Amino acid sequence: MLAQYYRTFKRQLDEKGIVFSFSGYMSEGILYSLGEALRQKMTLEETNVTTIKKVFSVFVEQAQNIIRYSAEKVEGNVGRRIELSSGIVTIGTQDDRFFIVCANVVLNEDVERLRQRLEQLQNMDHDEIKAFYKEQLREAPEEGSRGATIGLIEIARRASAPLEFDFDPIDAESSFFCLRVSI
Amino acid sequence: MENLVIPATERSPRVDFDFAAGRLSLRGESYPEDASKVFGPIFSGLDGFLSEAAGRDICFDIELVYFNSSSAKALMNMFLRLDEAAANGVRITVNWCFSPDDETMKEFGEDFAEDLEHVAFNLVAAQPAE
Repeated sequence: MLAQYYRTFKRQLDEKGIVFSFSGYMSEGILYSLGEALRQKMTLEETNVTTIKKVFSVFVEQAQNIIRYSAEKVEGNVGRRIELSSGIVTIGTQDDRFFIVCANVVLNEDVERLRQRLEQLQNMDHDEIKAFYKEQLREAPEEGSRGATIGLIEIARRASAPLEFDFDPIDAESSFFCLRVSI
Repeated sequence: MENLVIPATERSPRVDFDFAAGRLSLRGESYPEDASKVFGPIFSGLDGFLSEAAGRDICFDIELVYFNSSSAKALMNMFLRLDEAAANGVRITVNWCFSPDDETMKEFGEDFAEDLEHVAFNLVAAQPAE
């Protein structure tokens, strides 16, 4: 039963084309290790260098967004400061394209700002996104953002289709946010 | 002025600033948790050096394989400092090195080059030395 249950679970992921998946508390160390495995896997499959770069870059920006912005977070001090943020990262392939899907809990008060930013990026073409990126490079970071704006623009710049995203309300305080990027 | 040498870590580049020789380099990858921790020492080293370098020839080799968006912001900040110093009489050449098949790093180099007026910015497509 046990093996059957997890085999089914694994098969469901496989059927969706998911090659890597991680659900739980994300840290910079996990980001590094997952990222290395991801690059090695793509290199073994002789994926071209530019595609590897794009997938890796979107993965890093998305994972760092979870680490910084997930509303489901444990912080503390165990000799050094620890910050663990809960979320999901999945990477897979579908119709010869890579996709990276990340999801995490966000506070409802942040939903509108995030939605507006993503809609703005959805409505831009590649050249507009590139120009917006260059403009933001020179900007001082927004208060409380820890670099979110430029991170989302970098993601949109590497994507080969408009970003897909959604919010699923949880309760009065929070929602589940999901972002899917196709390369 | 003391040279600045910081070894690479898993997610930050090797810094090798030989101020006496006027040869600076930045090599590796940059996607740290906090870009300001990585670039803070680079900025303070550069600021001290550049303020006394008028009339000198400086060569800065940059060979980054990957950097994240907050590092890109820090790099832009660094280039603006270099450009200001170059406007004030420091002769600065930046060699932006990238692998020939890496379009992303080539494009970043072109983007940075467009924004600099006084620094000589060379795009160098070369296989990295192993």
